[in-house]
Amino acid sequence: MTDLPQSPQVPTPTDDDANPAMIKADLLAGLIFIVLGVAVFYGAWTMDRLEVRRIQPLTIPGLVPGMLSLALTVCGVVLTLRSLRQSMPGDWQFLGQAILSGATGRAMVVMALALVYTLGLVGTLPFWAATFLFVFAFIMVFECWLAEPRKPILPSLLWALGIAVVTSATVTLVFERVFLVRLP
Amino acid sequence: MLDGLFMLGAGLAHFLTPLSLFNIAWATLLGIVIGALPGLTATMGVALLVTLTYKMAPDQAILCLMCVYSGAIYGGSRTAILLAIPGTPASAATTLDGHPLALQGKAGMAMGLATTSSALGTLIGIVALALIAPLLAEAALKFGTYEFFWLALFGVVISGQLTAIDDPLKGYIAGILGLLVAMIGMETLHAHQRFTFGIPSLGGGVDLIPAMVGAFGFAEILGVMKRHAQARIVSSGDRVVPKMADVMRYKWTTLRSGIIGTFVGIVPGVGEDVGAWASYAAAKRKSKERHLFGKGSQEGLIAAETGNSAVVPGAMIPTLTLALPGSAAAAVLIAAMFIHGIRPGPLLMTESPEVLYQVVAILFFSTLGILVFGLTLTKPLVSVLAVPRERLMAVVYVLCVVGSFAITQRMFDVYVMIAFGIIGFILREMKYPMAPLVLGIILGDLLDLNLRRGLMLTNGDPSPFFTRPISAVICLVIVFTILMSIPAVSKRVRALFTRGSSQATG
Repeated sequence: MTDLPQSPQVPTPTDDDANPAMIKADLLAGLIFIVLGVAVFYGAWTMDRLEVRRIQPLTIPGLVPGMLSLALTVCGVVLTLRSLRQSMPGDWQFLGQAILSGATGRAMVVMALALVYTLGLVGTLPFWAATFLFVFAFIMVFECWLAEPRKPILPSLLWALGIAVVTSATVTLVFERVFLVRLP
Repeated sequence: MLDGLFMLGAGLAHFLTPLSLFNIAWATLLGIVIGALPGLTATMGVALLVTLTYKMAPDQAILCLMCVYSGAIYGGSRTAILLAIPGTPASAATTLDGHPLALQGKAGMAMGLATTSSALGTLIGIVALALIAPLLAEAALKFGTYEFFWLALFGVVISGQLTAIDDPLKGYIAGILGLLVAMIGMETLHAHQRFTFGIPSLGGGVDLIPAMVGAFGFAEILGVMKRHAQARIVSSGDRVVPKMADVMRYKWTTLRSGIIGTFVGIVPGVGEDVGAWASYAAAKRKSKERHLFGKGSQEGLIAAETGNSAVVPGAMIPTLTLALPGSAAAAVLIAAMFIHGIRPGPLLMTESPEVLYQVVAILFFSTLGILVFGLTLTKPLVSVLAVPRERLMAVVYVLCVVGSFAITQRMFDVYVMIAFGIIGFILREMKYPMAPLVLGIILGDLLDLNLRRGLMLTNGDPSPFFTRPISAVICLVIVFTILMSIPAVSKRVRALFTRGSSQATG
């Protein structure tokens, strides 16, 4: 297993961020892991040691979380230090560009649509109606607004309507009638 | 041995019913389609299908899941050849030589060779599964609580190391995060609730299926929709069914790639993508036509496709005998087996030995399915590739929501799915591998329980963890793996070896 390839570059058409952005992203992530590690360690340290039940002191519930949190903190420190050592001027701007790029914007739109659907629509509307609205909105947004080049509205509208109707009907019927699941 | 053959025959005969054959056919085809669609991966397909097979009989449910798994790993090669986009991460190595072949007007030949190589790779893996798994299961009966602690740790460490070769630190962090997620909820030794923050739904811990649907479904949707690029299908009308001579010409490459893939599969949490890259690199090193690699080498294509397909049966070896998932999709299979009352682990061969041979039989039948569908349904599969992702991903997200909701029927699992999707997406963008995270979630309980149970048995004395022979060996391997991932250490060790060899030759 020692002679694995050095991960040849995969020719996927991604518009990935450049390396400098990753260095600063590592710095932020490293700091977050340190905070998380310390917080979990505090939680593990103050966790009930069940002394009332006279358990073996080394089998307390907080043992493994405490060890893991220490490991996470160490990894966070290493990541942070490595990032600081590699840092170069202007890399914060690269990170800013990567975060504010159009690609991230598209991902944010997907996230927003998904959150509105799952947290807002599902539960307030009947499941089929919520699903219909989500699928329709998703296709229209990505075909007629965020696509390059944008597609003509009418065919997209028909496709979106068709897919939305078929999806919401099929999913609702299959799960409620065949699997007897009470959908939210 | 004879007993094993008899059981294998029984396993094959078990699925020779119209219902089973029907399930094999649709599940394998569905797997191929899932694999071929960029953005739908094998793990996602298996995780979503757990819900749909929930009401089936256990053997049929496992049958469908396994067929989708092996079908999807094969299906990704279609996209790799025709679009130069890996349909699943497993076929990334296939793009290197598959797409150049398509550009040379040999798309049909490339698709045919990919099909036969996948089938041969799975067959090599199946043989290994049938031979190695019973032996490993017998050896595993000697494992005690100390060994299982180390095995769980070994799984997370080795997966972290090998899925993030460029940066093992990120692999380790992903593994630790997964283990920490597993700490949430009721622990099994003293029944104490940890990190539940008064939320009753967290009492049972984070379920694996919604977490997987999030990390491999929703996160993947976000990743796919982020990209702008549209690829063009390159196809040609040449003959798809390969000539026997073409297949036989690289028989040693096939055999070597199959064995490498199987061993990569056995290593916990290291999946098809690593299997493909490892066999590709080995084939390139040994090849007489090294200059052709990357420019449309048939040998490279064969190595990549044999390698990734052999991982599937290979991954089932630790999955069935040790309950250590051999790949991310195998982690879902473990969760599905528990749902259906099958308990993978060392006792499987004593409690229900037929399960192993049924899995062997399933993989065999799905290989036949791949051969038949792969060589005949060329045109329909090309049209699958033309489905716009805008239309597909909306539907997939709906399935993610329903899939995570349906098993326990509580909205909490949907929230888990969303949380894992968003966090998984951010981690992926920062190049953290997902497999160690998943492995951590599934192995966290094993690690925690066995460490503290061991300490309880010895009344606080940790020495058996280091003095029992098997424990000591696994412990040393872990320490070595971690040390070698520190750049300064590995550089010195390598220098030591090269100096030694140059002195020997000089």
